[in-house]
Amino acid sequence: MRIRKASLLFFLGPALLVVALFYIIPLFLSVYISFTPMVDWNVNRYLTQFIGLQNYERLFHIVMYDPDMRAVVITTVVFVLVTLIINVFGGLLLALATYFMDEKMSATYQGLWLLPRMTPIAVYSLLWYYFFHSSGIGILNSILLKLHLIDHPIALGLDPKYLPWGAWFIIIFVNGLVGVSYGMIIFYSAFKSIPKELIIAARVDGASTTRIIKHILLPLTKWHFTFVTVWQMFSLLMTYAQTFLLVEWRVVDSTWGQTWALYVFRTAFTTTKDQGLAAAASTFLSIIGIVLGIVALKALGYEKMILEPKGDI
Amino acid sequence: MMPETTDVETINRRRMNLALGIVVLIASIPILVTYFILMASSFANQMITGSMVGQLTFTLRNWILFFEGKLTVASAAVYSAWDILRYILNTFIVAFGVMLVTTALATMAGYACSRMKFKGRKFLIQLLILLHAFPGVSLIIAVYALYIFSKEPIPSQWWTLYAFIYVIVARAALEIPMDIWIMKGFFDKVPWEVEWSALIDGASRIKVWKDIILPLVKPGIAAVAIFSFIAGWGALIYVLVFLPPTEKTLATYIAGLLAGGSLEVVHLPVVAAAGTLYLLPTLVFFSFVRRYMLQTSLSGIKG
Repeated sequence: MRIRKASLLFFLGPALLVVALFYIIPLFLSVYISFTPMVDWNVNRYLTQFIGLQNYERLFHIVMYDPDMRAVVITTVVFVLVTLIINVFGGLLLALATYFMDEKMSATYQGLWLLPRMTPIAVYSLLWYYFFHSSGIGILNSILLKLHLIDHPIALGLDPKYLPWGAWFIIIFVNGLVGVSYGMIIFYSAFKSIPKELIIAARVDGASTTRIIKHILLPLTKWHFTFVTVWQMFSLLMTYAQTFLLVEWRVVDSTWGQTWALYVFRTAFTTTKDQGLAAAASTFLSIIGIVLGIVALKALGYEKMILEPKGDI
Repeated sequence: MMPETTDVETINRRRMNLALGIVVLIASIPILVTYFILMASSFANQMITGSMVGQLTFTLRNWILFFEGKLTVASAAVYSAWDILRYILNTFIVAFGVMLVTTALATMAGYACSRMKFKGRKFLIQLLILLHAFPGVSLIIAVYALYIFSKEPIPSQWWTLYAFIYVIVARAALEIPMDIWIMKGFFDKVPWEVEWSALIDGASRIKVWKDIILPLVKPGIAAVAIFSFIAGWGALIYVLVFLPPTEKTLATYIAGLLAGGSLEVVHLPVVAAAGTLYLLPTLVFFSFVRRYMLQTSLSGIKG
């Protein structure tokens, strides 16, 4: 028995330590920081001061009365909903298209669409920095100029004339292009796991491709559809890295291009360095994350899918 | 674009393939165009889009300027050639570190989750899914506070080393939950009989794992290693937050060049050269693991 415990500790110990140090403890510490007046990372001075709910009151106040913070809330809602629809249905369309292609072509396209996900964030942002650049060298501007749709270069993400739509368009486009590949992979492998005989039998019976999609592929992958939707909602709510440099590099407006998650990060690290307030704002993300996560686990029936070790000695 | 009524006899596979190929190609234009322009501009005298075709010439000057640490033709070097090499080395150190930590921990914990009975196993496995989805942004404030706290007792000449270690483990921590799942999926596929025969012969669990099971999950280890290398190589936020400003990686170097959106001080094709160099290892490694992507995502969702 002691040997078993020792080997279990060997296998699990390091991972559990990392999980404790970088997830569990920070989760509680973050909630604690939201009850302190911490600014400028002055841990020694502020971490012992307890100010109750003051940060939450401040946060509530700016959400109610500060138009910039209002913009953050509206941007978050629009961003999450629109990008979610694009990611789920775009992913589904890509998966269907690549499913009906021959293998070689589908592998090439899937690789291409996975590229944005794999690309270093700085390079990925750089691509869109060029694309949306407000001078004539911007790819979008040079296309529009050549088509004579505009007569001088535009700053789509910055010019008040185009706000908030211009900034929203950019952040949704840039994040959507990364996000669709997730749905694509999950749906594609779900389609692939459907027995081929089913499709062939339907074909022999004269079913069209659209009927095969409607009556075989989609009904059999409902679970995956829910999974992708919940998962993407999650990650869109929490994502900020892809947008961070676009704001820092002045590609998009810092007000209308900023979601709640990015607001948390920038408040803590770059703008006002008000960690107390940022921690309070992040608590809401944590709560949504935990609730959504538990609901998803229960609804999706994960527990049933975990195999018991057969013959652990 | 898909034929309305066709059966197995009359369906024209080739035509459907062609139609789908063209549609997806059109949808892929933004990806193809942006990547192409970045890479091609690093070999041109100016950004490809802003100029007439006749004015473009092929040149290696951008690459030379980049390695000399210069940002424009006219300006003096802002960085030295040594700085640039060091930034590349730093990027590599972080990527390699993240790879080592992630692969080691995921291989060990994945085995335990797949093969060992212990209290709270189901809870742990579900917790890992939750953690993978858990917002990095609501943790990073506290993770940074812990960092400041923990580095205080350390003598200041060790701080840079400590920053590297911390950034590696902290960044690896983001990858570990998912990679434990992936490794668990690979261990699940190894037949139990292999393990039983060895255990009955009296070998210890760790020895069986190391000598018998690990060689059987080599593809899984390779996939996790490469995925985590790519993740560490591309890391931006954690590097920016934890490493001192003098210790840049390619990510923070590029991020700094364009900060504030100013174009006066940098020649964009030089930044394109930096971006292309930064992108190349990712492209190479990604081409190795592309085929694992489907496998791993599947075993990642299904236990």
